[in-house]
Amino acid sequence: MFRKYQKLFVFLLVSGISLFWFTPAARGADFPQKPIKIIIPADAGSGEDSEARGIAPFLQQILGVSVTIENQPGAGGKIALERFQKTTPDGYTLICNNLPKSIIYEHMFKVDFKTKEYSPVFAWSVSYNLLVVNAETWKTFEEFWKAAKAKPLSGGLSAIGGTTHLGSLAVAKELGIKANWVPFEGMAGSLAALAGKHLDFSIVTSTNAIQLINAGKLRPLLMFSDERDALFRDVPTAKERGLDIPTVITVRGIQAPPKTPPAIVKILEDACAKAIKDPAYMEWAKKRRMVLKPMGSAKYMEYILKEGYPTVEKYQGLMKEGQEVKKS
Amino acid sequence: MDSSDVVIQAIYTVFQWQNLAALIGGSIYGIIVGALPGLGPSAGMALALPLTLKWPPATALIFMGSLYKCCNYGGSLTAILVNTPGDASNAATILDGYPMCEKGKGAVAMVLSGASAMVGGTIGMVCLIISAPLLAEFALRFGPAEYCMTAVFALSIIAAVVKGATLKGLFAAGLGLILATVGFDTIVGQLRFTFGWAPIEDGIPVIQALVGLFAVTQALVLAESARSISRIGKLEGGIWEGVVTYFKYPYNIIRSSVLGLIIGVLPGVGQTSAGLIAWAEAKRESKHPETFGRGEPEGVIASETSTNACMPGDLVCTIALGIPGSVGAAVFLGIMILFGIIPGPLVFRDSGNAIYSLFIALILTSFLIFIFTVTVSGYFASVTLLPNHIITPLILVISLLGSFAIRNMMEDILISLSFAVLGYVMLKTGVPLVPLLLGLVLGEMVERNYQRALMIAGGSHSIFYSSVICKILIFLTILSLASPYLGSVWQWFVKKIKGG
Repeated sequence: MFRKYQKLFVFLLVSGISLFWFTPAARGADFPQKPIKIIIPADAGSGEDSEARGIAPFLQQILGVSVTIENQPGAGGKIALERFQKTTPDGYTLICNNLPKSIIYEHMFKVDFKTKEYSPVFAWSVSYNLLVVNAETWKTFEEFWKAAKAKPLSGGLSAIGGTTHLGSLAVAKELGIKANWVPFEGMAGSLAALAGKHLDFSIVTSTNAIQLINAGKLRPLLMFSDERDALFRDVPTAKERGLDIPTVITVRGIQAPPKTPPAIVKILEDACAKAIKDPAYMEWAKKRRMVLKPMGSAKYMEYILKEGYPTVEKYQGLMKEGQEVKKS
Repeated sequence: MDSSDVVIQAIYTVFQWQNLAALIGGSIYGIIVGALPGLGPSAGMALALPLTLKWPPATALIFMGSLYKCCNYGGSLTAILVNTPGDASNAATILDGYPMCEKGKGAVAMVLSGASAMVGGTIGMVCLIISAPLLAEFALRFGPAEYCMTAVFALSIIAAVVKGATLKGLFAAGLGLILATVGFDTIVGQLRFTFGWAPIEDGIPVIQALVGLFAVTQALVLAESARSISRIGKLEGGIWEGVVTYFKYPYNIIRSSVLGLIIGVLPGVGQTSAGLIAWAEAKRESKHPETFGRGEPEGVIASETSTNACMPGDLVCTIALGIPGSVGAAVFLGIMILFGIIPGPLVFRDSGNAIYSLFIALILTSFLIFIFTVTVSGYFASVTLLPNHIITPLILVISLLGSFAIRNMMEDILISLSFAVLGYVMLKTGVPLVPLLLGLVLGEMVERNYQRALMIAGGSHSIFYSSVICKILIFLTILSLASPYLGSVWQWFVKKIKGG
């Protein structure tokens, strides 16, 4: 029986599969109709990646269509960001972006995208920078500061062009210290070198350093945030010490391609806002020790224009200068 | 609680039905993910994560751990049978695994790989259980200067590898080192030799290059004749031969395990180097180095044992310090944190049950892999009997698809094809491949750490020989460079005494 109709079965199966692609074009009112794809301009396992994978199942539930993740880590994310600039703004392709990294890229390298032209949808989390030293060296920030002013210390940079790169240079400038910056490929490298006492200090995002701090290898000295971190109750903030250092924070959220219709952005924004209030999501975020700081579309844009770009512009000279010196 | 109590309780945990199911499920999923080029352990774990979110921590860790472990084995399967590495870490396995298939010994090579997973994995795990905190301390003593000297030592092994074809070998090594300089220089922050082409800004993507050098090149070679991968058209040797062969080389097994473990413990060095270095060491110490690369069982034993011992090493710093040694370990670290297991020295006290369950499950997985291999190797090896006109298009499609899937970029297929042309020319002109691979994998490590060390030392080269570890490494390097000639010097010396 099966053999007799085999060709027919195959024909029907193939036609059926092909029909999936014939979905009507997106209009605001009946959005979404087909699966949504979130692009990650980084590797699987990176911060952006795990946070997008964390929120995706909740978005899927709320929006009623499947939400998939696609990693495009080429050229430090540059390729994905450039491609995204030209993506059809129908709301079915989104990007999980790490700010101000993409803004720094715009200023440091020749790129073909503009973060401020993307349509911001929703940002959910922030990370703060933390000054850490080897636990066997300085006990307090003041001791460290004194030593750093006396002679240039070796400081670990997690990555050239990353958010902590900008944060580190800003801190050094405002503290009036000269450092001997040693770049690595990622935070694991600089943290390991610091724990092994091959470096003197490093400025890293607080969540990455916590294991080595708990292990007694590293000591946190100063937090660059407005308030004390719940994880490091004893660590003072720069503000408390009377230092005026801009807080270069890492903001993670999703953006839509340039010129996405506001109606579609609104639907996605509402879905995100609802997703992060889900108790299951909140529990997940707590386990990951994420600092949730939701920003809707308008607020997200305001951050990009009023905080992201100005901070990068203020310190971009330092980043370029650093490169010039090394070249000569 | 006594530590032996924790271990006994962990054994009890592992043997609960849901955990055993997670172990077997994770293993099968891992083998499939590993066998597909383009899907490595990191992508595999990230994809499976939503499934495990509601599970108890121990169950989820066991699932992810066995997945992680089996990925490497899955990659070896395709490396041996069809010359396609599932991941960069399987590169060294191809060197002798595939030629064994050509001799009709596919099943034997598979059993060797399975036995390596069992023995290398178990040795690595036992060392991890006994001395994880100590090993982590050891790893921290490696700074940029030590990393640089480690890589220089590893490169010096090329001297042994190229013996016999010195000129061609050095040419290949040089080419590998040149290719390693392509891309974004992470120290200076400038692009080098990219000619404005974005896909190589991160450097030459290693897996894509390997797919071209091995899989596509081999597909071209296969297309030249109408036979099958097994040149003799039948399978020779069985499971028993594989097991006996494996245990004939205890010294090789121990050396490769120790090498793999040490390389694994150092964050950022990785399984690819572990396999290649162990392979080259085995060749150097062999009495018949010319058989390496032509289907020498010892080559498969060395590379496989080493990569399997490397994986527990990789977990040492991840679990004891929270410093992931590789991309796969970084994903694993994220998963541990998600399940409330906070890495660090206290993890053995706070989450002892979950961690020891994971360790025991990983040992169990090692044995499971061996049982799996023994069961299926005969069937799988018959792939090598398929006529070339069927297997060649399959290899081409699957490997190029994998090359695309890693970064979702069409350009990567172009990279693979370019390396296929290079690989084909090298094959036809008899230029060895291993020096090129070592250069490509280690070049970046030498250069970046050299720069870093100089930055730390303020430009003084004394940093490269001031620490004890550096001194040992320099000694080993000199020994390694001189070893091909030590034999003849010794003979000359003996002759002189006898003559005098």
